[in-house]
Amino acid sequence: MAVDREKVEQFIYHEARLTDENRYDEWLALWTDDALYWVPCGRDDIDPKREISLIYDDRTRLETRITRLKSGVAHAQEPKSRMRRIVSNIEIEEGANGEITAFANFMLAELRRGVQDIFAGRTIYRLRLVDGAFKLAYKKVLLVNNDEYIDNLTFLI
Amino acid sequence: MNGRAKIDYNTLVKTDRVNSRVYTDPQIFEDELERIFHRGWVFVGHRGEVPNPGDFRLKRIGLQPVIMVRDHAGKVNLLLNRCRHRGAVVCHETRGNARNFRCAYHGWTYKLDGSLAGVPYPEAYDDSFRREEYGLTRVPRVAEYRGFVFGSLSPAGITLEEHLGRAAREIDMFVGLSDAEEIEVSSGINKYDFKANWKLAVENSMDGYHPNVTHESFVSAVMERIKNNPSPEHGAVFDPNSFAAGSYGFAKDLGGGHVMLDYGFRIYDPLNRDPLPPVRAINASGEMHLSDLRRRTSPERAADMLREGGTHTLVFPNLILIGLHMRVVQPLSVDYTEVCLYPTTLKWLTPEVNQIRLRSHEAFFGSASLGGPDDSEIFERIQTAAAADLEPWNIISRGLGKERPDDEGYLYGDMTSEITQRAIWRQWKKMMTQDAGTAATRKRGSRTSTRS
Repeated sequence: MAVDREKVEQFIYHEARLTDENRYDEWLALWTDDALYWVPCGRDDIDPKREISLIYDDRTRLETRITRLKSGVAHAQEPKSRMRRIVSNIEIEEGANGEITAFANFMLAELRRGVQDIFAGRTIYRLRLVDGAFKLAYKKVLLVNNDEYIDNLTFLI
Repeated sequence: MNGRAKIDYNTLVKTDRVNSRVYTDPQIFEDELERIFHRGWVFVGHRGEVPNPGDFRLKRIGLQPVIMVRDHAGKVNLLLNRCRHRGAVVCHETRGNARNFRCAYHGWTYKLDGSLAGVPYPEAYDDSFRREEYGLTRVPRVAEYRGFVFGSLSPAGITLEEHLGRAAREIDMFVGLSDAEEIEVSSGINKYDFKANWKLAVENSMDGYHPNVTHESFVSAVMERIKNNPSPEHGAVFDPNSFAAGSYGFAKDLGGGHVMLDYGFRIYDPLNRDPLPPVRAINASGEMHLSDLRRRTSPERAADMLREGGTHTLVFPNLILIGLHMRVVQPLSVDYTEVCLYPTTLKWLTPEVNQIRLRSHEAFFGSASLGGPDDSEIFERIQTAAAADLEPWNIISRGLGKERPDDEGYLYGDMTSEITQRAIWRQWKKMMTQDAGTAATRKRGSRTSTRS
């Protein structure tokens, strides 16, 4: 079965827009139960069994993250970040069991309390068809600055 | 001296209050560098960061760049990162393994112990040039406790043992009674910065009054998760009662500016999906440490300590031990600070338990975590508000007069007592008002004069 490239791209753009607009519940609904949301720390190819990540969320911790962001007292996101990101250079591979792996680059402008920061990196997505629609099973974000001092990465990256 | 007015620190820090100028005045920052960071003992790094000969990390003592490097004899050296020839840094990678340090400008090359190995075309120097006089400048005093390496830029002063005092026992708790070489500091570094004064991070780390408010979002989110899934296998309980008045936890003054919080229960949120693995040792040395720790505490407490950390202590001025990470607070200017967190693992624990240590750390600590960034947000709000100084006093009187001595005479208060804040400020004021004494050699200009 050929990969429907447009469908994959639409999913990726939709996911990006939900993160840009802090639409937490809709974003959480994209994920599978065996989710892994992963942002390595220090370099791209760490071994998570032996090294820390900036984010290494399974489904439960992802839910805790979202509950916190919605609480109104997550001070590092009060006020919330204003964001827009460009996602580009998308490459798609068909994996085992009908899973699709997609690779993309992104650049994000993030504004909070009068200071605008730029984040950039590469994202690896694993998508799975569930009842005819894509779900996100895996998202790994390789930040260009993952070995630098980062003041606040509490928005959805 | 540069002719500036002398600051009277007794008027800025009182028993129950602190003038916010201590967070904003560049002259005070200069004094802190000289009197606290260049004169006293400062934590630099742990042996476990440089396990093999040639391993190095770039560090700082105050603002001075330092190379921490293990040589072939196993010794950890602290060397100022500045070529003795024309003054370029000789090491520009933040970490790695080196055979030697070669300056990129004219090629002066230094061994791992800092001695000058050679220079290009040495024949052009006359007989008065002696290589042994031009090694990298060594930090005048270096001392270790259980692999924790401290340095002092002052050639004289109290010993590290005297400096640590009672805090040494909290280092013992932190390392789970391991030997120095069994602590692994190779699990990465959380690096974050904030636009505020360094002392705000120090105070906050030992503030048992703030968690239920600053971290309300974390507490409520974890509580909701527990409500939905109460299985004890599903993670630890964060008990908000422990951070309320009348809590069973306490805040303690260990003397010398060292302070601690003792909550004696599991606080963080381990890997959510999996049952907690039993705590086991994988070798004889580990069996010994484990049984020792179980005997000193209890089997349950020992397991919690090894999964999630055994103490919550400030080693004045810049080392904080919380959970299973070492935290180093690095002042860079009066209103800009960098912080590094070094999560640790233990060689004698099973990989499963070491992994739990990392996952529990990630929940609360780091730039994208569910805890720490809220603290940094508060530091910046305080720095902003310090400009409103018609009424400049910040109040640290909570629990004043209610301190009680423990069995050894160390004073403690309930978990929300600001006894820890008062103890930090008392030491700060002591160091800021101390006679220059041994600091004479640290005055600007005097070091260069000894070389000319």
